[in-house]
Amino acid sequence: MTDFNYHEIDDVIHSRIRTAIMAVLISVEEAEFTFIRNKINATDGNLSVHLKKLEEHNYISVKKEFVERKPMTKYKISGEGRRAFEEYIKKLESIIKGNI
Amino acid sequence: MDTKQAESELALIKQMMADSRQVVADNGRHYIFWGIVVTAALVANYIMALQHVSMNYAGMMWFITMISASIIDAIVERRKQKISRVKTFAGRLLGALWAASGISMFMLGFVGTITGAYNAIYICSLISIVLGVAYYTSGSIQQIKWLQWLSLGWWAGAVYTFVYPSIHTLLIFALMMICFQVIPGIILYKKWKKSNTEIEM
Repeated sequence: MTDFNYHEIDDVIHSRIRTAIMAVLISVEEAEFTFIRNKINATDGNLSVHLKKLEEHNYISVKKEFVERKPMTKYKISGEGRRAFEEYIKKLESIIKGNI
Repeated sequence: MDTKQAESELALIKQMMADSRQVVADNGRHYIFWGIVVTAALVANYIMALQHVSMNYAGMMWFITMISASIIDAIVERRKQKISRVKTFAGRLLGALWAASGISMFMLGFVGTITGAYNAIYICSLISIVLGVAYYTSGSIQQIKWLQWLSLGWWAGAVYTFVYPSIHTLLIFALMMICFQVIPGIILYKKWKKSNTEIEM
């Protein structure tokens, strides 16, 4: 039997809130800050911190613009983020199947 | 991480993905807008036909109406896209489907009759077939069964107007526009408005 290796789990995604953010962003093409916030029931400050972390690791891209004089921040999952998220899901499935 | 935690994580991911994909992609605005524009043009065309106005004028009326409506629709859509909180893959597919259908209908309506390939009386029948395809696919993309069923109405209308072509085809098509396009558009709009209110909350 192989021992569980915690290093194999992606720490950037492995947080309840960041996992939820990634799950939302992989399901849509692009989403605005408030859409993500309402989907995952997070506070503005908390969500900003986690989005920043995902952005720093190039898992998501950010687009800031002004629409009718109001700031709008839109997020999109990157290719790297998509690959990392798919890998993360594979790891979860492996754990469930007992392969890790 | 143990098996229970992994299962819980996976359940969260599935739930979030399913929830995010449920965003209503179609706000029904296009159905209402184009339904009203085409119905008005059909009624105008019917009156022109009764008054024995030259077909050239009717063609010109259709051309000006369609081009103006396309420009207005493009401007409004561009603005809507900018302020929308989420862009979905389903929305992109629907946009491509209706753009392709619109170009096809334009060609059937104008190019086909100008070249004399077929009698203008059959335009409504041909357009009904294209609309049937668009509704069937649109309903499938959005997983709205009743929208798919509406395609049967469009195809049945196409068969009827092919078999019994007359000047009244214009009025029959106008009635189909109201029943199969404007009313469904209003239902879709109400659904979209409701889901949008939930997102805003």
